[in-house]
Amino acid sequence: MENETDEEFIEKDKNEEDIEEFEDDEASREVVLPGEVLTEDTKNFLPGRGTIYNSERSKITSLNIGLKQISKNYINVIPLRGFYTPRPGDKIIAMVVDKNPVKYKCDINAKDFGTLKPKNTIKKDRNRSFRGSSGGGRGGGRGRGNGFSREDMNTNKFNIGDILIVKILSADRINKPELTTVGKYLGIRNNGIVISIDPPKIPRVIGRSGSMIKMLKNLTKCNIFVTQNGRIWLKGEDLAHERLLIESIRKIENEAHKVGLTDRMQEYIMNEIKLRGLE
Amino acid sequence: MMDVKRIVSRIEKNYIKSNLRKEERIDGRGLWDYREFEIKSDIIASAEGSADVFLGDTRIMTGLKYDVGTPFPDLPNEGVCTVMAELLPLASPLFERGPPGEQSIELARVVDRGIRHADCIQTKKLCIKEKEAVYILFVDMYVVNHDGNLIDTGAISALATLLSAHIPEGIIGDNGLEWTGKYLTGKDLVNELPIALTYGKIDDIIFLDPKLPEELVCEGRISISVTENKICSIQKSGAATFSIDEIKMLGKKSIEIGQKLRKQLNLTQHLSKVK
Amino acid sequence: MPLIIKDEYPDKLFRKDGKRLDGRDVDELRPIKMEVGVIKNADGSAYLEWGNNKIFAAVYGPREVHPHHLAKPDRGILRVFYRMATYSVFDRKRPAPGRREKEISMVVGDCLEPILFLELYPGTSFEIYIEVMDADGGTRCASTTVAALALADAGIPMKSLVTAIAVGKIDGKKVVDLSGIEDKAGEADLPIAITWYNEEISLLQFDGDMDLDDMNHFLDKAKEALSKVHQIQLETLKSKYIPLQGEITNEKKGEK
Repeated sequence: MENETDEEFIEKDKNEEDIEEFEDDEASREVVLPGEVLTEDTKNFLPGRGTIYNSERSKITSLNIGLKQISKNYINVIPLRGFYTPRPGDKIIAMVVDKNPVKYKCDINAKDFGTLKPKNTIKKDRNRSFRGSSGGGRGGGRGRGNGFSREDMNTNKFNIGDILIVKILSADRINKPELTTVGKYLGIRNNGIVISIDPPKIPRVIGRSGSMIKMLKNLTKCNIFVTQNGRIWLKGEDLAHERLLIESIRKIENEAHKVGLTDRMQEYIMNEIKLRGLE
Repeated sequence: MMDVKRIVSRIEKNYIKSNLRKEERIDGRGLWDYREFEIKSDIIASAEGSADVFLGDTRIMTGLKYDVGTPFPDLPNEGVCTVMAELLPLASPLFERGPPGEQSIELARVVDRGIRHADCIQTKKLCIKEKEAVYILFVDMYVVNHDGNLIDTGAISALATLLSAHIPEGIIGDNGLEWTGKYLTGKDLVNELPIALTYGKIDDIIFLDPKLPEELVCEGRISISVTENKICSIQKSGAATFSIDEIKMLGKKSIEIGQKLRKQLNLTQHLSKVK
Repeated sequence: MPLIIKDEYPDKLFRKDGKRLDGRDVDELRPIKMEVGVIKNADGSAYLEWGNNKIFAAVYGPREVHPHHLAKPDRGILRVFYRMATYSVFDRKRPAPGRREKEISMVVGDCLEPILFLELYPGTSFEIYIEVMDADGGTRCASTTVAALALADAGIPMKSLVTAIAVGKIDGKKVVDLSGIEDKAGEADLPIAITWYNEEISLLQFDGDMDLDDMNHFLDKAKEALSKVHQIQLETLKSKYIPLQGEITNEKKGEK
């Protein structure tokens, strides 16, 4: 059921900013630390991401270890270390860790587990009509106009240990994040392998306009899905290629703060392909 | 590879298995290869012997302390060496706080038996005065990072710790227990160099030194402790079964690999220089 | 039975040349070395050597609270678990946690909490595990200092770091950074920590006797010393990312 051909994830929303910040050559490469004063000029600058006023509002300080970056009159700190916070719309990799007849419990590498309900695992079929009057397909809807049959409302589809690509439907302070497997590129993965990296480094693995991930894919000849919760699914033609890709991703993770990384990674991988005899 | 909690994903299980079938491991090793050992000894100032051992990313820091006590009635001129292990909660999300559980008890006991049955420690040298005073040695292992195969790492760390020993030498004089000014060292105490080799079994394939994801997928495990030419202790765990031929094969392999490893590690370099 | 070498305290804590037993001046710090990211399984981690102190700190969190009844609905909770290895002290310590360890866990926790934003993480828990592998005086201060590093390594937003040190009086003289012997044999011992976002005290204990002049002196000297240690913390965090951009690094051996 899954389309296993080449895909990559390029989030066309707020995460574009993250990528820009990392790849922008004019951005300061200054590493700043928690509590470090970024500016005392509070007339001309405002605290942006990863920053805060001190109690007298006379200084702006950093909240994290990160890269200092100025955008218009906002001072931001792009964190170099951090944990994942679920946001609606994020596409992430989840693992089913438990289930009961009415829902799946999923590990999403966040402080809460995510909940996946059966209704969010089935594509709504518009042709399925009320009281099963349509021919073929499932027919037999049970008195509900929402297109779901009773057979759908169970948790038989997925099992504990399954890897799913999901999207976050909702997440707030009180409710655990709700997930769905309905959508483009979403659903179960039956092969390949998943690795985890530090979530703030994900934009670096994607690169500006996907430049890094395209390069990784082409050179290592692997399929790659990069998701927001720091997890990356990959599959290559053999273990040697996959291992090269995994090691390359770890290298990107360690050097995310440096400029010119895409070019250097390209050089590194091409070199390794020769050294390891992987042409 | 994925942030390891208690459950290993189905695709990771398949990944490990399909590669094992090709005799490949997820980190590029062969079926009978160890990860890299790194050993630093005598690093704890407060201890009378210590070692910090890495096997790949698995890390165990072990220390030796002594006490003086009365001997067991049936062994009036022998001292005692006991081994303890703690799986520190900081080492892995898999370890919980609280008193030692099954896994830490197994680790301590397997390492202890490897040392004991190799006659590794000359317990008669641990006697100060027959029937009255003997040394009691405490070898305490702390797991600082868990990436699989705590037993082999623990065994090497316990051994390096004992080799690095510098225990104050005591005699019973006119005023009771006194210090001679000298030390009992590993050279005095350590007789043999037992090494533990742990194998995992997945789907009928057996391999040495399981890394954590492999260990979590393993259906069975077996640890064999060896001296240069003898087998001194065996422990099989897990639900999988091993055939008689497999055990014979592993016995032979263990002695061979043990000999190679002993040479490679050159453990006697950790003998204490104090005197 | 007693041990063969006794844990005896020397008569004098100063040498004939006026220096302390380990060769230091009254205001001199012991050698300090720090490292982050040493425990790969943890969310954040750090290691510190301070004199002969060798201490690990690891952070797990934010995560679910176990046992569940401890969870707070309006904020996260911080739990510190300070433990000492049996072989970290002269007289082997019993493996199970004792009262002193529980007290220090609490004091260190109170000291770290002000720098965090626990109200942003309701219903969750941050756990800090501190393990002293070798003890040499001022362990609660060294533990606080290394725990702050581990929190930063975990990427948890913080107002600033916190740094701690023990100052005190030995043989009538006021000194900074008490070693193990000085701690045991001295007359006064004042562990103190400062949070840098507001430059205020978040840990303060005292044992011994001092007059008001002593106290003022201690507080001023402590602040000076703490600034120096704070610098080391900051350099440790930064050093992971330096050398700077443009350097082509060859394949490095994996960091331990």
